[in-house]
Amino acid sequence: MASTDEELVARSQGGDLDSFNQLVVRWERPIYALAYRTIGREEDARDVCQETFLRAFRALKGFKGQAKFSSWLYRITLNLCRDWIRRERRQPIAQAPEGVDLIDLASEQSPSESIEDLVARKEISQAVARAMGLLPEDQRTAIILKEYHGLTFQEIADMLDCPLSTVKTRLYQGLSVLRRQLDREGVGRNHV
Amino acid sequence: MCDKDRLVSYLYDDLADGERATFERHLRECDDCRDELNALRGVRADLVSWSPPQPDFGFRVVREPKVVPMPVRSWRGWWTPAAGLAAAAVLVLAAASAIAHVEIHSGPDGVTVRTGWSGSRPETARSGGETASRAVRGDVILPASDGRVDASIIETLDRRLRALEAASREPGLVRNASAAGLSARGGDADIIRRMRELLAQSETRQQGELALRIAQVIRDVDAQRVEDLKRIQQGLRGVEASVNAEAAGHRELTNYILTSARQK
Repeated sequence: MASTDEELVARSQGGDLDSFNQLVVRWERPIYALAYRTIGREEDARDVCQETFLRAFRALKGFKGQAKFSSWLYRITLNLCRDWIRRERRQPIAQAPEGVDLIDLASEQSPSESIEDLVARKEISQAVARAMGLLPEDQRTAIILKEYHGLTFQEIADMLDCPLSTVKTRLYQGLSVLRRQLDREGVGRNHV
Repeated sequence: MCDKDRLVSYLYDDLADGERATFERHLRECDDCRDELNALRGVRADLVSWSPPQPDFGFRVVREPKVVPMPVRSWRGWWTPAAGLAAAAVLVLAAASAIAHVEIHSGPDGVTVRTGWSGSRPETARSGGETASRAVRGDVILPASDGRVDASIIETLDRRLRALEAASREPGLVRNASAAGLSARGGDADIIRRMRELLAQSETRQQGELALRIAQVIRDVDAQRVEDLKRIQQGLRGVEASVNAEAAGHRELTNYILTSARQK
């Protein structure tokens, strides 16, 4: 039976590197996904992902478990992404995945999906990436945490240090911007 | 004005049962909210299509091996580590021996190293209480191999020899000596000659042992020097590797900057 995050954290705090590396294996994909969707660059997202785990490892002794380990990791990742955006002084560049395109998309979908559907899905994916890149950082972060990481409103509010109502407002505003942008591009479902 | 917070909560199924029922009643009456809800559901469905690439991670935290930092030394320090120290040690030893009047004797009970001037040596050294008197003088007794001449015997003989020489130089004794005494004195001369030979052999042996020990010290020092050089080379290799890695990082960064500049 797999150990829980809390058990692995406790063992890691006792100096067990294997336990920490199990946490890395467990969380590297979500953390990478968060970084990638936030800053939109594959290589930089990878660097942020590694730096997140390094920082977590160094600060592990100070982690008292008030929040979930995953929430703590997300917070570190978002701080690093914020640093990256400030350093680069630009909006994140949302890239469509390079070199994986149709084959990669096809692997995620049922075998019955046609080539036309795959192409359409790729177009939607690129349009979504572009539209997300246009959102203000706070709205984009709220949508990413809610849509792709399934956090509750309260968890997002705690992570972003803002009231619950602010999270909902950011979500509403962000989704509304996305809706208009996707309509403008004429892709995806009918949002009108 | 409709409550957008409630709309978002309903969109994400985050309303309590009572609130949900109330909002659903509102939806039946409000076309704007209903249309907006459907549109946002469509956006959410589109968002699902955006998936990140799947890189090969392979990132693991490993414990850094403890590297003992090599002290940075100036060029003056590179040639001295072992040989120079050994030479200095030999010089100090020689000077100290001269000052302290070190005597080294070997015997069946070991090699005896004695310091101090022999003129102040107590008379008891000649007696059977030799070991006790050595302890009082602070002598160092080292174990010796078999077949060596006892140092105390040599000393005793040496003193006897000096006494006989002194006696032979006294005129009164010569005048009162009988013929038998004269023949006995001739026998003493033979003994003295043999004693001198024994003493000379003993000294030669001691010098040989000393030479062996010095050679051993030099061998040890040389081995240490080789070990030092190996460690220095290892340290240099480590420094070179880190410098290369850093240079590669800088090169990569420069390439990235150039590429970014070109794209702009």
